Amino acid sequence: MATVVELPRLSDTMEEGVIARWRIKVGDKVKRGQVIAEIETDKATMEFESFDSGTVLKLIATEGEALPIGAPIAVFGAAGEDPDAGAKPAAAPTPAAASAPAASTPAATPASNGEGKPVSGAEVPAASGPGAQVAEDMSKKPARDDGRVPASPLARRLAREHDLELGAISGSGPHGRVVKADVDQAIAAGGAAATRAAPKPAAAAVAAAAAVPAFVAERPAGKASQVPGVPGIEADADGRPYVSRPTKTNKLTQMRKTIVKRMGQSKREAPHIYLSTAIRMDRAMAVRAELNLAVDGTKISVNDLIVLACARALRKHPKVNSNYTEQGILEYGDIHVGVAVALDDGLVVPVIRFADQKSISAISRESRDLGQRAKGKELRPEEMAGSTFTISNLGMLGVESFMAVVNPGESAILAVGATNDEPVVDNGVVVVRKVMRVTLCSDHRAFDGADSARFLQTLKNLLENPMALFG
Amino acid sequence: MAILQIRQAIRDAMKEEMLRDERVFLMGEEVGHYNGAYKASEGLLEQFGPKRVIDTPIVETGFAGVGIGAAMCGLRPIIEFMTFNFSAVAFDQILNNAAKIRHMTNGQFSVPIVFRGPNAAAHMLGSTHSQAFEPYYAHIPGLKVIAVATPYDAKGLLKSAIRDENPVIFLESELMYSVKGEVPDEEYTIPIGKADIKREGKHVTLVTWGQGVPISLKTAELAEKEGIEVEVIDLRTLRPMDTETVIASVKKTNRAVVLFHDWPYGGVGCEVIARIQELAFDHLDAPVLRECYEDVPFPYADNLEQLVLPSPEKGLAAVKKVLYRG
Repeated sequence: MATVVELPRLSDTMEEGVIARWRIKVGDKVKRGQVIAEIETDKATMEFESFDSGTVLKLIATEGEALPIGAPIAVFGAAGEDPDAGAKPAAAPTPAAASAPAASTPAATPASNGEGKPVSGAEVPAASGPGAQVAEDMSKKPARDDGRVPASPLARRLAREHDLELGAISGSGPHGRVVKADVDQAIAAGGAAATRAAPKPAAAAVAAAAAVPAFVAERPAGKASQVPGVPGIEADADGRPYVSRPTKTNKLTQMRKTIVKRMGQSKREAPHIYLSTAIRMDRAMAVRAELNLAVDGTKISVNDLIVLACARALRKHPKVNSNYTEQGILEYGDIHVGVAVALDDGLVVPVIRFADQKSISAISRESRDLGQRAKGKELRPEEMAGSTFTISNLGMLGVESFMAVVNPGESAILAVGATNDEPVVDNGVVVVRKVMRVTLCSDHRAFDGADSARFLQTLKNLLENPMALFG
Repeated sequence: MAILQIRQAIRDAMKEEMLRDERVFLMGEEVGHYNGAYKASEGLLEQFGPKRVIDTPIVETGFAGVGIGAAMCGLRPIIEFMTFNFSAVAFDQILNNAAKIRHMTNGQFSVPIVFRGPNAAAHMLGSTHSQAFEPYYAHIPGLKVIAVATPYDAKGLLKSAIRDENPVIFLESELMYSVKGEVPDEEYTIPIGKADIKREGKHVTLVTWGQGVPISLKTAELAEKEGIEVEVIDLRTLRPMDTETVIASVKKTNRAVVLFHDWPYGGVGCEVIARIQELAFDHLDAPVLRECYEDVPFPYADNLEQLVLPSPEKGLAAVKKVLYRG
């Protein structure tokens, strides 16, 4: 009896996942515990260790395909067994799973963007090619992640001889292999979609350049990464057309989808209130410098001090360490401080657990390690789960102060600005002090402005009298 | 033109060569008084006498060796194995003497000898008597290997084999001795190393030999009903192989299936495929497939034996697969 392997839940908040890479192929013998795939969740790319043993009969999910938890991704069984015998019943009740693979068959793939992806099926009518009936079979989808277009040697030669781009021809053979019939059809269709000729925008640019003053064509194209522009319809006062570049769609990553969902949910549901205060950081900075000098190998950051101070303040103001639910307000017994880490294409929030019970050097070590691994997307989901309070620090980017969005599951987030030298009035005298502005952004359903204010007062006190942190 | 069975074509070839050249003689188990286990030497003892048609004891390694020695001394023996399964007993003689002596004596001795007899599976002969031996012999430099499927080819090629200066393995088929076909009345020979296009077609090249030939022709008939034109190439000589004919056909059809009576692992089928991919790679539109025995010792039971054998239906499935139609 074949076993259907389903997409596992790999993190608390994961609702769908993408097979980033298969580590197995059809025919492989898999042992329980063997890594069979890398799965991109909302938070990280994780290795998926098989719960089952057997011979891989079929890979249902293709690399790059987003699937809901529980969707069938592969079928294991005894060698030679019919994979569909066991696969069908499991796959049927999941409409999302059934529709997702269909959406990525070559026929439904959007037109070529010049990256070796198949062109729209409209140019190569699937119904008339040999093996057309199998074009819908998902086991025949092109596996082109390595950039190589599967094609028979003959198809390859014919495409070369007719100056056709192989990658732009939809393959009807097994695994999307481009075969002679496909190339013949592309040739019959005039090869319009697949010719190696210059792409249309560039051709248009050449045509337009002939009609406009020469300097337009000579205008530097900008960075290499920029799409070549074309002279637009609008022109400046001297009649010189502005260069127009096409809008492009950046696919939503799993992480971006999670951010969209959670931040939207928070802003829709949680009435936010924002309270700001200015904290004098001179003594905290001095203590930090002293600690780093005194203890070998220590490299405590301002943020580490803030984490510790917040954790201590939360212990004193448990209302802030909470979460509103319809059943009541959960007041968390443990203090787990999340620290937002910006990535190129999103952000993650690794968690320093039991932060109130850790020493400053432990927090510092942990924070640095988590931060580094977050940049490499190497964090395990459990390292990004369970925070009860979050700190978002944009001070290093020169931000003076800002407002953040509360993480669902928590009631407050501290938005931290830069520590700058500022003139302040001290005992009637204007002096220069190091000042940091923080904003406590909180869910008004869980507690009120005065609670927020009292928390900030404690936090301010702890940071302005940092020895208290070590008491 | 006479209609002959393959066994008669083989007898006629031997008879004509024995008449033509007095150095030619036949030796083997029951070739004389019994007229051959499959009656391929009918009447020869009567015509040529016991000096030239010699019944041997059941000792293949002995009479194979005697034959090789006779060939070295200037005679032109034809050694009949009752089945090539028994040639396994004589394998050392063939491998190390027949195939090597010309090379190792720098041409001082040649071994103009023919080893002939039925090869491959027949019907319910069990694991040890159903084997195809062409992979073993075609593997050996110094031997020529022929497999025949029609009376015309059998006669023309056996005459060439007898006249050849080198040891030739001549593979027949127990199931095909009674296959009939036209044979010219006049003298003719067929050159060793030339394939024959048994049926022309433009969609798929089906390469075959020996017992695979009738199956391939039936495959082509089945395919024709589905509008597929299969070109059937009978290699006839397995070593040296007529690569040119195969490659020319593959360049025309862009796809090939090799159908044969033998196990899949290694062997002549693989050699054909290796040459196709090497010489016609850019002309291939699909992987080259094999249709042959299942990779198991032969079962005795009739029903199981049928499962192991290649069939026109299996051949058609392979043909459709390389056409991406199935």
